[in-house]
Amino acid sequence: MSGPVLAAVLAQAAPLAACLTILIGLRARPRAAAGLATLSLVVALGATAYLVVVVAVPNVHWVAQTTWLPVADGPALAFGVFFDPLAATMSFVVAFITLAVMVYSLGYMAGDPGFARYFGFLALFAWAMLGLVLASNLLQVLVFWELVGLASFLLIGFWFEQSAPAAAARKAFLMTRAGDVGFLLGVLLLIRALGNATIPDVIAAAGPAGIFSPRFTATVAILLLMGVIGKSAQGPLFTWLPDAMEGPTPVSALLHSATMVAAGVFLVARLHGFFAAAPEVMRGLLWLALVTALATATMAMVAEDIKRVLAYSTISQLGYMLMALAAGSVTAGFFHLTTHAGFKALLFLASGIFIHHAHSNEMRVIATKQPRSQRAGVIGLVSGSLALAGVIPFSGYFSKEAVLATLGHNAGTAALALAYLGAGLTAYYTFRMVWLTIPVGAVGAEGAVVTAHHEPSGGDRAMAASVLVLSALTLVLGYLGGWLAARLGHEGVEHGPFAFGAGPLVALALVAAGIALAWVEFGRRGAARAGFAERVPALRDFFGDNWYLDRLYGATLVRWGTALSRAARWHDHTVLDGASDGVASGTVWGGRILARVQGGYVQAYVAVAISLIAALGVWLVRRGGLP
Amino acid sequence: MTVASYLFVAACLFGIGLYGLLQRRSLVAMLIALELMLAAVSINVVALTTLAGRDGSLGQVVALILVGVAASEAAIALSLFVAIHRARHNIDVEQLSELTG
Repeated sequence: MSGPVLAAVLAQAAPLAACLTILIGLRARPRAAAGLATLSLVVALGATAYLVVVVAVPNVHWVAQTTWLPVADGPALAFGVFFDPLAATMSFVVAFITLAVMVYSLGYMAGDPGFARYFGFLALFAWAMLGLVLASNLLQVLVFWELVGLASFLLIGFWFEQSAPAAAARKAFLMTRAGDVGFLLGVLLLIRALGNATIPDVIAAAGPAGIFSPRFTATVAILLLMGVIGKSAQGPLFTWLPDAMEGPTPVSALLHSATMVAAGVFLVARLHGFFAAAPEVMRGLLWLALVTALATATMAMVAEDIKRVLAYSTISQLGYMLMALAAGSVTAGFFHLTTHAGFKALLFLASGIFIHHAHSNEMRVIATKQPRSQRAGVIGLVSGSLALAGVIPFSGYFSKEAVLATLGHNAGTAALALAYLGAGLTAYYTFRMVWLTIPVGAVGAEGAVVTAHHEPSGGDRAMAASVLVLSALTLVLGYLGGWLAARLGHEGVEHGPFAFGAGPLVALALVAAGIALAWVEFGRRGAARAGFAERVPALRDFFGDNWYLDRLYGATLVRWGTALSRAARWHDHTVLDGASDGVASGTVWGGRILARVQGGYVQAYVAVAISLIAALGVWLVRRGGLP
Repeated sequence: MTVASYLFVAACLFGIGLYGLLQRRSLVAMLIALELMLAAVSINVVALTTLAGRDGSLGQVVALILVGVAASEAAIALSLFVAIHRARHNIDVEQLSELTG
């Protein structure tokens, strides 16, 4: 095996081995389990760093694959690794974020009875995501896609003995599966048409010289996008993500940044050549993502739970990534994915520090528990928020600029204007969150509980270290744009990072306006601490209730599904069970009646036997002998 | 004497045996009744082969074999009765009804 192949195998094998070892053998030894999982991610990080050096830096593309399923009459299904800068960079991001989350979890999850299981699941998550990123074949992608879904199900429902996390995990699983049906159908159609589903072959077949008709390409693109919409929580299927907050906070950090929801965006970037061959579908995706981004921004404006604010912002930012991809720029979409992975992981981990100390997710409760004493948390939350809002020179500014520039080139004025509006809303809700969580003045004397001063433990230091490293990254990642553009295509990133045309200035002005509005309503001393949307009860209820989407699903799909399930249960209990129960009880009753004949009296048997033989004899005589 | 008179005697023996088999409660008495029925069969065989065969010697041979069979059957049955008597201290068929359904 050549070096890169070995590195790709190692990056996947290490987390898998750690996961299996922990779940089978180390359940009762939490420290060993955490150490092993962290070590496996260090190995994976080294391997993916090597991939970045040998694949992404020299900008090479190749596929290394081997036969998986030989098919009698047709080309064999293959599996392998598709090396290109996109996969190498993404795998490094995945390994890095997972490692940061693991180190953080050493402190956050300390003392939890499921500590070892937790680290086993994290390793499973890392393996599934790395496998998805490096896969060369869409069937392979599908396998890891489902494994990612499984890992997030297990982690969202990590505290499964409580009812809310169990319900959230079930909701996440079912809603993403609803989209995955489309993904599966799309992959099957591709395999039927092409004989295999190797990614470069699929892209080539959809191109101008390829064998796919435009109609076929559009059909498959829609089916694959159904999976993407479920996984990346877009459009009608987004409501699982806010509920997924029931999992442990580091899990949210992982789920929202480099794994799970990023899988959908990554797939679109990976198959961008294929999707680009279906421009109408891409236009539909653009508008769907735009509506999602704006709708979830309004929901973030009224949420009271800090993790829900972050969840809505994730959906909104995923919308921006998909908009950029739909408008034709892999670089802008993937750039935003990368910077978002950094600052969203940071925001969750920083909010986790507050949650850990205040024992509450409610921003107004955290505000009363001396949030300023958590230095690392404050630094993380503020730098992450600056990046999320898109303030220069934090990473989010550069990637959002790239997205907006792409939209400006390819998407038309209406979409661009709405995207700018979304950027302003982002700044508003982000700083609403900051000032609600960390108030400028003293808040509510009734809640001013003085927490006992306590020495920082090793766990606290692990949490702080992860947060500070990620905070530093928000200042660095923004300069990655040019490097990515040289490898993934220049659309949308043709300027240097500090080119100020009209676009960036408008965006910065809107961001400043959003922050100023948040300052007036939440930040300054004596502020009302209630936003303009919260003061209108109708709006507050509408935004705070996922635009009533969950109620709509509850009144329609869930009700129909429940009715169907009831009918099926009735059929099962009454018809199927009734038939088999009837046969069984009929046999029993028949046996009881016939058992009376077996009286146990030998002479009765003899009498019966002789009577029958006599009857047989009479019958034989009357019909005239044996036949 | 015609064949019919032999068959008449055999039928009487069979009827007596059948009555005994169904009526008596003791296993030994039932065995004796069974032997009567077997004797009736033997007589039938000897009498009927004189109608079919040239000299009836085949029927006599079969009758001799039947005597042997009856002897061995009686030996086995009696040893079973002894075993039952040892286990249960009586050989009344009315009380041997464990195999009820």
